[in-house]
Amino acid sequence: MATYLEFIQQNEERDGVRFSWNVWPSSRLEATRMVVPLACILTPLKERPDLPPVQYEPVLCSRPTCKAILNPLCQVDYRAKLWACNFCFQRNQFPPAYAGISEVNQPAELMPQFSTVEYVIQRGAQSPLIFLYVVDTCLEEDDLQALKESLQMSLSLLPPDALVGLITFGRMVQVHELSCEGISKSYVFRGTKDLTAKQIQDMLGLTKPAVPVHPARPAQPQEHPSISSRFLQPIHKIDMNLTDLLGELQRDPWPVPQGKRPLRSTGVALSIAVGLLEGTFPNTGARIMLFIGGPPTQGPGMVVGDELKVPIRSWHDIEKDNARFMKKATKHYEMLANRAAANGHCVDIYACALDQTGLLEMKCCTNLTGGHMVMGDSFNTSLFKQTFQRIFSKDFNGNFRMAFGATLEVKTSRELKVAGAIGPCVSLNVKGPCVSENELGVGGTSQWKICGLDPTSTLGIYFEVVNQHNAPIPQGGRGAIQFVTHYQHSSTQQRIRVTTIARNWADAQSQLKHIEAAFDQEAAAVLMARLGVFRAESEEGPDVLRWLDRQLIRLCQKFGQYTKEDPASFRLSDSFSLYPQFMFHLRRSPFLQVFNNSPDESSYYRHHFARQDLTQSLIMIQPILYSYSFHGPPEPVLLDSSSILADRILLMDTFFQIVIYLGETIAQWQKAGYQDMPEYENFKHLLQAPLDDAQEILHARFPMPRYINTEHGGSQARFLLSKVNPSQTHNNLYAWGQETGAPILTDDVSLQVFMDHLKKLAVSSAC
Amino acid sequence: MAGLYVKPGNKERGWNDPPQFSYGLQTQAGGPKRTPLTKRVAASQDGSPRVPTSETSPGAPPMGPPPLSSKASRPPFVGSCPPSSMEPTNFPVVESEILLEDVLRPLERALEDCRGHTKKQVCDDISRRLALLHEQWAGGKLSMPVKKRMALLVQELSSHQWDAADDIHRSLMVDHVTEVSQWMVGVKRLIAEKRSLSSEEEANEEKSVATAEQNQTVPGIQHDP
Repeated sequence: MATYLEFIQQNEERDGVRFSWNVWPSSRLEATRMVVPLACILTPLKERPDLPPVQYEPVLCSRPTCKAILNPLCQVDYRAKLWACNFCFQRNQFPPAYAGISEVNQPAELMPQFSTVEYVIQRGAQSPLIFLYVVDTCLEEDDLQALKESLQMSLSLLPPDALVGLITFGRMVQVHELSCEGISKSYVFRGTKDLTAKQIQDMLGLTKPAVPVHPARPAQPQEHPSISSRFLQPIHKIDMNLTDLLGELQRDPWPVPQGKRPLRSTGVALSIAVGLLEGTFPNTGARIMLFIGGPPTQGPGMVVGDELKVPIRSWHDIEKDNARFMKKATKHYEMLANRAAANGHCVDIYACALDQTGLLEMKCCTNLTGGHMVMGDSFNTSLFKQTFQRIFSKDFNGNFRMAFGATLEVKTSRELKVAGAIGPCVSLNVKGPCVSENELGVGGTSQWKICGLDPTSTLGIYFEVVNQHNAPIPQGGRGAIQFVTHYQHSSTQQRIRVTTIARNWADAQSQLKHIEAAFDQEAAAVLMARLGVFRAESEEGPDVLRWLDRQLIRLCQKFGQYTKEDPASFRLSDSFSLYPQFMFHLRRSPFLQVFNNSPDESSYYRHHFARQDLTQSLIMIQPILYSYSFHGPPEPVLLDSSSILADRILLMDTFFQIVIYLGETIAQWQKAGYQDMPEYENFKHLLQAPLDDAQEILHARFPMPRYINTEHGGSQARFLLSKVNPSQTHNNLYAWGQETGAPILTDDVSLQVFMDHLKKLAVSSAC
Repeated sequence: MAGLYVKPGNKERGWNDPPQFSYGLQTQAGGPKRTPLTKRVAASQDGSPRVPTSETSPGAPPMGPPPLSSKASRPPFVGSCPPSSMEPTNFPVVESEILLEDVLRPLERALEDCRGHTKKQVCDDISRRLALLHEQWAGGKLSMPVKKRMALLVQELSSHQWDAADDIHRSLMVDHVTEVSQWMVGVKRLIAEKRSLSSEEEANEEKSVATAEQNQTVPGIQHDP
């Protein structure tokens, strides 16, 4: 339906929101029958170059249990200067500053096109951005050199009043005191023993502030200059000395015997970093950037021992309960992650090594705080260097894209409740009338904290319709949701972004067609996928696939057009036509099929999946495949072996890899050199077109993907072939179905066979 | 100003390492965008099994050349001969030499200007790094792009274009960190100190102009601005 696609797109552009359903079933019973929950994908800080922030504070509803923000859905009495909250119907007086408003002189936040508004908070001190580098020195020489140079380069990219600190570690952990004087000092800790926050603060000579810091009030750095100055100094004062200090960093001096791994005390290093920031800058935006070249091998949080002959755990080991350090290490990093999140600090992990580094155990550090996870082979690669540079990228106003210390609050009209969120956040445990008892994702709250975020950070938010069956449709016919994101902008201003949306209710019995037509299959696929991947973290793999299959069959049974027991009659309307394909590819994706990857790789893929916006998430679920030929402009083609033709060039984007594949004939022409002959200039253009498109993607994507340029018969062609042809690499470990008797789709199939099975099951009256 | 280029990744160290964009290219707002590749094709619903028509079957006749470009039908290059094609190809192009003195002298002069205003230790540190720059340049350790951009940086600095100079310093740190990291932070600091010195001087000038205007009403006594 052209109109709904436009509607969906306009709303996404304006508000950064996409709903699974855009016309809402009006009762709880009907909503559960829809199979796909009512949910949305929200990008709280979506880049809006056309939306300048307003320089005043938002007007709040005066009811203490509501406090919704004035928005275009509110009824306004311009003469009496009153407004009615659309969530709780409270009548509120406008503040004195609004005395001059009228129908022809509306404030921005009442205008319909300003469903999303950003406010700048004027009051309060503005605290600087803080960056704490935690650097592994057990690296090879040229890796360490490349890392040092990247860090030195970053000092030129940071703003002059940002605070920066340095902790290095190997067998011991060194906290460097940054001073402008000649002699550099550092505090050395053993890497074997963990310390409490208090012990760390005592040993570093940090005295607790006399006034306990209120969580709502950011710490004022200028109040305790003596505490902040020694380990975290402003760039404009310390850049020259720190450049030298970085330049002089040596490899960890402890010799590594033959057959052993270096002793790496990542657990204690990170613990000290978290404790240092906790003691000096609680409740201020800060970034701990952890750079590692191998797994932790010593102390709390160790992931593997130092004997090389004992490999780091694989998925098989984990399945057989043969990963002796995993539980304890994960617990250690979870404790640190929660402390960092409570203080509003985010933790990034930059892991560059040929073997695993323990991302599985450490992933909570990035996932709970909104920090970045970057995985590469070496610090001396473009993948790391470019990705690292892009962290400091700036927007059209010359401000960093990164933002800190965000709190997301969701308010709903009374027919809805919030069931939970899935994304880089932690719960703030805020109960209230909007909070559902049924949890999907991180639930039991209507507020979450996102310590580190940027304009692409995206959450999945799940709702529950609570209206009783046969209760009348609410007056006005629309439900509303408000998203309030309070955050620290990179210019150090505090800002509030408010998005208020509404959608029509409909009675599912009589208006199912309307509900169907307003289904957003792309959003639904991503939202279901996030649920599936969330489950996969705690449930067995086969159970998750079983669940996913069951939901797909139920959806087809509900919304397909068919005659019973006649699979050939099965049809899906346009708004559902891509959905089964998304589910097919999701089942085979590295997010749910882990045995083809290491635990670290799976953690890395899942980390990015849980935070990307809709377009990128879909690319991850079902890679894009475009075909280039002489027959016309580049066109999308099915991710199927039938799309691989001799006279075509294919470009595949999986998000993590960009693959350019030359068909056999194209490869032969290239070898023969036709592109260099002037009369075959169009062939030259044909070869160049996918390269230019690939470059466009590479120019903007974070993190930098791998880049594979291959051809028919090339060894690297396997990256394309494994994605299009399921029977080649699919792991047959899970041969269930017959044993349980439940209606399951078989695993080892092509899309065509998958669709055939799906239709059979959907039309069968046995299900 | 800063070069716009893409160089290949480090295939030795990184499996399928992607290409690296220069600072200039990276910070470009993005010119005419190509159509984003985000479309998909729905699988057919009619249930007919698709016969994969992939690679040409073995034993097929040998392939011919690609289709001819339509330009081949036009007469080749008549009249619109670009002048460069007239030059013999072995004629070397001489690039103008960038002299070390032209870069170093303005920097040292800028440092001298700052001596009253900036802490001694900082000045000494900057001076040490300028000496390092001198040593590396004279020793032939710096590549031509670095020298070119330093010349531009110094020009911007001399014209008080602080932001532009700063941007060039950043582009050098991003694109050529190995060559410049040891001394570039000194140049960065110098730009910052000159900027703050210059805004102080402007503020003082404004103040003294204001007082001069005030004092004009007093007969006979004229203050020098």
